[in-house]
Amino acid sequence: MFKEQVIMALESLGANKFRSLLTMLGIIIGAGTLVAVLSLGNSLQGQVFEQFIDLGTRRIAVGPGDPKAKGARDIPGYGLLSVQDYATLERVVNERPDLFRTIAPEVAVSTEVRAGTVAVKALLVGTTDQYRLVQSVPMEYGRFLTPEDEAAGSRVGVLGSQIAEDLFGTDPAALQAAIGRVIEINGQPLEVIGIIRQNGGPYATDGRVFAPVSAVRLRLVGNLDIPGRGMQMTGILIGIQSEQVVDAAEAVISSALRSTRQVPEGAINDFRLDLPTQALSVLSGINGAITGFIAVVAGISLVVGGIGIMNIMLVAVTERTREIGVRKALGASDGDVLGQFVLEALAISLVGSLIGVGGAIGLVTLISSVAGIAAGISWIGVGLALVFASAIGIGFGFYPARRAAMLLPIEALRYE
Amino acid sequence: MSIEYITQPIVQIEGLSKAFTVGESSFLALDAVSVAIHPGEMVAIMGPSGSGKSTLMTMIGLLDQPSAGLYLLDGQDVGQLSREEQARVRNQKLGFVFQNFNLLPRLSAQKNVELPLVYGRISGGERAERARSALEAVGLGHKLNSLPNTLSGGQKQRVAIARALVHNPSLLLADEPTGALDTRTGAEIMALFRQLNREEGRTIIIVTHDPEIGKQMDRVIGLRDGRLAENILHEYYGVEAFEPVKERVKVAA
Repeated sequence: MFKEQVIMALESLGANKFRSLLTMLGIIIGAGTLVAVLSLGNSLQGQVFEQFIDLGTRRIAVGPGDPKAKGARDIPGYGLLSVQDYATLERVVNERPDLFRTIAPEVAVSTEVRAGTVAVKALLVGTTDQYRLVQSVPMEYGRFLTPEDEAAGSRVGVLGSQIAEDLFGTDPAALQAAIGRVIEINGQPLEVIGIIRQNGGPYATDGRVFAPVSAVRLRLVGNLDIPGRGMQMTGILIGIQSEQVVDAAEAVISSALRSTRQVPEGAINDFRLDLPTQALSVLSGINGAITGFIAVVAGISLVVGGIGIMNIMLVAVTERTREIGVRKALGASDGDVLGQFVLEALAISLVGSLIGVGGAIGLVTLISSVAGIAAGISWIGVGLALVFASAIGIGFGFYPARRAAMLLPIEALRYE
Repeated sequence: MSIEYITQPIVQIEGLSKAFTVGESSFLALDAVSVAIHPGEMVAIMGPSGSGKSTLMTMIGLLDQPSAGLYLLDGQDVGQLSREEQARVRNQKLGFVFQNFNLLPRLSAQKNVELPLVYGRISGGERAERARSALEAVGLGHKLNSLPNTLSGGQKQRVAIARALVHNPSLLLADEPTGALDTRTGAEIMALFRQLNREEGRTIIIVTHDPEIGKQMDRVIGLRDGRLAENILHEYYGVEAFEPVKERVKVAA
């Protein structure tokens, strides 16, 4: 019986192809939007994440503790980071390759740089080649620091875009020509080996000059040591393997630092850890809100489609009142008639949602190949669209079907 | 008369009434009608417009509920059944033929004939076979896949008759079966009914206006203003019944 009713429902759709298609439109748009939005939303989220990964979602930044914080202990040099901390963390990073990728120092000093007659304030940052693995450093001209620069303590520097433009102007040719020139920093010569493209954000490189730590310490700035603890550091950047290990990595870093810095049991950390989780959760929150909003719009479209289905089913019941009468005279029970019309409504919504889903898959594939986005189809979205559309077909089809089922056979037969 | 041999009527109606409400007032379309129809009978229900003959047919066909009275179909009190059970009784015991054929336009002749078997939950293979042989029996074995709108009126009514018989019902109900046909085709259809009655012993009830049809029946149930009317053929239509028919001996099924 079910099989016959399915055939009847599909035949009935086929008998009014154009009308069925118009009725399906709301469902098609709704289901298609749902799948497209969830699919593209996923990959857009992934893309945004990839971009922010460059800016540090796979990085934990260790910073100095705040001596004015509540619970801070009253000891000399409280909160300062030193090369001892760096050495400890370097060991930890090497011991736990499952959590960590790399480690890079940050020794930042405010300086003045000068090229000819132009002088600007800049933040001189001593670091290593590893810096590029924990911080996005897109090179415009020249190159970044190398291990050889560090080993030799070379007097070389990489300029942030703002510094480069202040010193050499915005003309690309002039900037290009700046590579290899020697500028003055704190009165010391420094050869420009690279210029970084402009990149904003919280860890912007634009106002910075990067040089090998060894050169900063020995040749450019001079004594940076904290008494008894070696060179002071303004930050230590630790690359982690993925966003999933943030918590574990934080625990390892925290306990290693507390131990090497001899923080007493119960005292607050005398250092600061900047975790990427906040940025990630804000990001996914924004993304989720947008996706959710569009999904709600898709849902509304589906509901409107459902109302269209209800309308067309009421028309169908009226048009086919005599047919209902004949079927009842021939022995169709109320349940048979109810089932037939509910199935018809379900067929409209299901076929509509299949068309919508198919269209969405095509669209997503097209967009991903044209725009170069690696968009995977959201099968959850497909499932949601089909289930939701079916529920709407059954829900909105039930009332007209019930009207058909409750007709008295003779009234249906006599209907003109 | 040999009616005495018959142990149980197929249709037994006692004091059946049907009231219709129109606006404030209501009227009785059937007023305490009592009728018995026996297996193998071929009976006409006749009467002027508004006499209640169609209503009586509707009641016998379980297409509507009576307001009062008793209706035993094949010995079963069908007035007490639920809608679901009445649908099953229609499906198993009744076959309908309508004036305007009432074939479903999108279904082929064979699919139309299969409908009662679909609702009787008969499997597809058996359905097709029985529908084919029913259509062959009415002389339409070559029109199995024709859509109704490609058939003539007489052919449509033959399909409808095949559909009314395919599930082998106890009772065949025909409402003005020749009303939409020309005289010659109508006569052919009546001949088919008579053949079904004579050769297969089908019990047939025909509602008709046509005294010529009434004359050919075993018996005419006359109705006037919702009440039984004696000798309606003579009184209303001015013709005499075809007497010798009643002499036939009938045996209970």
